[in-house]
Amino acid sequence: MREFNVLVVDDEQEFRDITVKRLEKRGLKVKGAESGEKALEVLEHGYIDVVLLDVKMPGLDGIETLRRIRSMKPLVEVVLLTGHASVDSGIEGMKLGAFDYLMKPIELDPLLEKLVDAYEKKRIHQDKIEQAEIKRNMSKPV
Amino acid sequence: MNSPYSKIWMRMAVAFCLLITVPVAILVLVTTNSLRDAAIDKTEVSLGRLIEHKKDVITLFLEEKEDLLTMLVGMYPISYLGRQENLDKLFIAVNKTGSIVDLHVIDSSGAQVAYVGPYAQSLVGKSYYNAQWFQEVLIKGSHVSDVFLGFRNVPHIVVAVSDPLKTYVLRATINSEQFNNLLLSSQIGPHGDSFIVNREGKLQTPSRAGLTELNDEDRLLLEHHEGTAIVKREESVVVHSDEKATTEHFDATSIVTRGESIVATRWVKDGQWCLFVKALIEDSLGPFYKVRNHVILVIFGTSVVFLAIALLFINYLLQRIEKEDRRRVELGHQMVQMEKMATVGRLAAGIAHEINNPLQMITSQAGWISELLPEEDPEKVKNFEEYKKSVEQIRSHVRRAGAITHRLLGFSRKISAEKQNVKINELVEETISFVEKEAEYNHVSIIRKYAEGLPETMVDGPQLQQVFLNLLNNAIDETEQGGVIEVRTAVEGSKKLLVEFADNGHGIKPENLQRIFDPFFTTKDPGKGTGLGLYISYDIVKKLGGNIKVANRTGGGAIFTITLPILNLSSPR
Repeated sequence: MREFNVLVVDDEQEFRDITVKRLEKRGLKVKGAESGEKALEVLEHGYIDVVLLDVKMPGLDGIETLRRIRSMKPLVEVVLLTGHASVDSGIEGMKLGAFDYLMKPIELDPLLEKLVDAYEKKRIHQDKIEQAEIKRNMSKPV
Repeated sequence: MNSPYSKIWMRMAVAFCLLITVPVAILVLVTTNSLRDAAIDKTEVSLGRLIEHKKDVITLFLEEKEDLLTMLVGMYPISYLGRQENLDKLFIAVNKTGSIVDLHVIDSSGAQVAYVGPYAQSLVGKSYYNAQWFQEVLIKGSHVSDVFLGFRNVPHIVVAVSDPLKTYVLRATINSEQFNNLLLSSQIGPHGDSFIVNREGKLQTPSRAGLTELNDEDRLLLEHHEGTAIVKREESVVVHSDEKATTEHFDATSIVTRGESIVATRWVKDGQWCLFVKALIEDSLGPFYKVRNHVILVIFGTSVVFLAIALLFINYLLQRIEKEDRRRVELGHQMVQMEKMATVGRLAAGIAHEINNPLQMITSQAGWISELLPEEDPEKVKNFEEYKKSVEQIRSHVRRAGAITHRLLGFSRKISAEKQNVKINELVEETISFVEKEAEYNHVSIIRKYAEGLPETMVDGPQLQQVFLNLLNNAIDETEQGGVIEVRTAVEGSKKLLVEFADNGHGIKPENLQRIFDPFFTTKDPGKGTGLGLYISYDIVKKLGGNIKVANRTGGGAIFTITLPILNLSSPR
């Protein structure tokens, strides 16, 4: 499994901390953000492959954050995490381009699996873009 | 039709009845009354005409006799008529019609000079000087008497005239019978009457109704007739024609409607006699009754038709109202149900979020421990295996709790709505096996009444099993020791499966029957029931396209009936 960068966004510090800790233990590069605004800031300055995003947060909520992430960094994949029993918010997230959504409580293994899948998708997507760029560069007259 | 509607029906029917019958009754009353009045008016008019005519006839008759006598007196002096043979000749000559019974020739001293007639023997030599009529004739020149019995005890009228010089008086007795006949034709109807009275009220002609004396009412008419004066004479009141009365007064006809009859009265002979003509109203109402019956029949028929239409209309209206009411109640129930569901959904969502977050924390922390544990030296940690086991237990219970919250929220329901062919009997039997131990412990026996050869149906087995489990657990809770639970399966029609769970416990209070499926409604002790069991069961059965009903058994206890559609692959759902 390749190492990739994950951003955990959750307003609950304990959850954020332990998730960061555990994912790092599994060999990922993980950062935490306590709000949507903070997450956008981190995304702007750092390199992130996959975002794990809590849907229900004070301030900028998950869905709005997702929308902004999609417009700011279209390549970054987002996995929604919800404690709310609303299928609707999950579906809405999916429509907005989230990779998938997960219900709390969730164990680490299935969570990790989902993150890896998201990363794989991102990677393939990115590869395609890179190759397209190479082709374009090659076709350019030197 | 149930009672509130029949009550409305009654009220409307009565209102419509009144609305139709009251105006119709008034119409009938007014119409018949005016018809009757018109008929009476007509009778009065014809009565007036008749009495006028009769008066003329009577007057003419009497005048004719008077004229005859006046002519004779003018033509022949007493010296001629005083001779018996001349008088005999004259009598034969003038009395062709036989209306004159006899003729007297009386000189101015009152002595009878000559007589022709059937009673010559008894009248010879009689003096009339003191008779009132004789004096009147001498003064006025003529006299028409009332009817009197005379010497022969036979009613007759006397007409007497004197010659212009008052030298003698010629007197004729008129056949009363012929005179009476004149009045016979003046009757209206079979019960009519007509007669003549004199001023004192004595009958001058026989009354057809058999009156021998004027009754009080008739006397009153006589006394109050125009041209009547009442004169007190000694002790008795005597009716007298008014001295001042003119011919005009005597010409007046009075028509009085009195109870059952109409009476027309009129003076004749310048106030000497009064002519009475009576007609019974009933007699003249024949044509009126015919018209009236016709009118009543038509109106009655029309109102019956209207009433029938009104009743049909009411029926139609009430049916519509009842249908509409039922629809609205149903709609109301549905609305309430939907609202409940929405409320529960919101509530559950809130609870789930609050519980799922700590659950997440627990599982994360436990996971962290289990991840870190392998790094420990098992030798150094005394209870290494116990920790490991404990962590696994924590994670497993969190999974269970998570499953419960997800299930409660209907989350898993929506996700795992996988249907497969299910044999209901097997599913029920399997469910019973879950609770059999508990039932045994409570000394409750479960009786199975499975129908053989039930068709399989496409249904979400685990979901349905949860419903059965709920009902069985409730039944066991509600049944006392030694109780019996009956489980029955059957086919209803060809498209429905029936599963019944009946217990002989305490049953459900009537006021709770309506609320039993409500979320969070429970009769169990606090902490023992969430009030969600039956609600979830209801929700599941509805989602599976079935229905669940509850009722109290007549012998005590409750019975839950689940109907499920029979679905298979070929039938589209």
